[in-house]
Amino acid sequence: MKDRSAVVLANERVADGVMKMTLYFEDLPPIEGGQFVHIRVPDGAHVLRRPFCICDFDKKERTIDVCYAVVGAGTARLAEVERMHRLDALLPLGNGYAPKGDRIMLIGGGMGSAVLPAIITAHPDREYTVCLGFGDVSKVVLADELKAKGAKVILATDNGSAGEKGYVADVAARMIRQEKPDEIFCCGPEIIYKILAQKSEIAGIPTKISLEQRMGCGIGACLVCNCKVRRAGVEEYVRVCKDGPVFDITEVAL
Amino acid sequence: MNTAVEIAGVKFKNPIITASGTFGFGAEYGQFYPLSALGGICTKGLTIKPKQGNPPPRATEVYGGMLNAVGLQNPGVERFLETDDKRLAQEDVVVIANVAGATLDDYIAIGERINDAHAQMVELNISCPNVKEGGMAFGVLPSSVEKVTAAVVKVCKKPVITKLSPNVACIADNARAAEAGGAAAVSLINTLSGMAVDWRTRRPALANNNGGMSGPCVKPVALKMVWDCFNAVGIPIIGLGGIASYTDALEFMICGARAVQVGTANFTSPTAAYDIARDLADHVAQNDIDINDLVGSLVLNG
Repeated sequence: MKDRSAVVLANERVADGVMKMTLYFEDLPPIEGGQFVHIRVPDGAHVLRRPFCICDFDKKERTIDVCYAVVGAGTARLAEVERMHRLDALLPLGNGYAPKGDRIMLIGGGMGSAVLPAIITAHPDREYTVCLGFGDVSKVVLADELKAKGAKVILATDNGSAGEKGYVADVAARMIRQEKPDEIFCCGPEIIYKILAQKSEIAGIPTKISLEQRMGCGIGACLVCNCKVRRAGVEEYVRVCKDGPVFDITEVAL
Repeated sequence: MNTAVEIAGVKFKNPIITASGTFGFGAEYGQFYPLSALGGICTKGLTIKPKQGNPPPRATEVYGGMLNAVGLQNPGVERFLETDDKRLAQEDVVVIANVAGATLDDYIAIGERINDAHAQMVELNISCPNVKEGGMAFGVLPSSVEKVTAAVVKVCKKPVITKLSPNVACIADNARAAEAGGAAAVSLINTLSGMAVDWRTRRPALANNNGGMSGPCVKPVALKMVWDCFNAVGIPIIGLGGIASYTDALEFMICGARAVQVGTANFTSPTAAYDIARDLADHVAQNDIDINDLVGSLVLNG
């Protein structure tokens, strides 16, 4: 494994408070959907890297896309990085999600949607239904990109300003009832997992979720990002960065 | 020219050691570079029984540093002896087992148990600010620093390094106490107790409320404390606190550190410790110096 120096090919605003960065690598390693990249903020004030899911990738062009919300000083600094500048990046990290079934339901809540395109890129030969949820129309990202990949996209916003009005977990439950997918993958804030876990519709369908936690090393050494899971009746803290970020919804202590 | 240093009869090929809690047991960083490039590695804090640690969030960034409250999550000393200790025995690097406890009996028990380890040295963690009992409590008063050090030295056949907390009245007094207790060396500083607050939610950023601060922002505090301790004790000092480059390492050695530990910088760059060891070796070669000659060579302004 090595730390890579990536060239920033693009770094643009794509929605309210949301940026999309394209990074070029001289040698892009194989990537699975759901994996993440650990990017060093290019100054001395920020000692922790920022973990972002790999939004999408292009094997031939040797690029990845990262979609990130500007929420603090670190992401604000990253948003200022200009084209052709370099960033140190560790990738791919964590255990991703590789669909085993044929008919896959993908659910994205807010910035959690940013993990979905790479899953389709890595496994294009499946049938995907994607439910996306955002606060309002100004926050909507990636709906067109996912449609362009051949997925059936159902968009929902809390206030109905784009797509249908409602919460994405409820919309997804309806779609699961209709489509009876082989598998479900969901990424969003923790509340969406809590709601989804209560839905009778997911019973019997393997459901994976992707967790987010503040990280230190990103490679499994420092135990900073640990979350609680229940395995064989025993509760334990496991590493989001190395044992996850993708977990089965039934094992995570929500 | 020479980069090798010796502490309590243990030879380090260079003075760069990774700091406890930032490096696991070396396996992950071993994917980036051979651990033999380092002088030593300090293990994650070990306890007699496995420990779950604190709920998340366990870390947050602060300007020029970070706060952590992992809470000594570790697999326990038995598991260490069966697995990581055996793996590390194959590596050409000094291994220092960092040990912690909640009671004096815990420290004695783990100090005894570590006699069976390959690890060549023991670092006593009596300064962890993130566990409810023990740890830090032993690290505050000079009398308890001496007591816990002496108790472990009595049962442990390996050289004992006492890791000192900066959250004390006078760290030099605690260094003297460790020396009086028979410590072969002291390492300092552990993290500075701190808090980060989210003004929106009016809550501390860490689930544990408080955490230990580390990173470049603590370096000036650490340098002064290393110098203070260097002038207080005769045993070797291992300096740490915000080291992120070979010039940082040089500054600590000039202030009296025989060796240094690299911690938070491992997160900023996974090859930080390797890079620092390499750059330090280049510096020593280019200037044809013995690194030992720098130790405590600080010249104060008149």
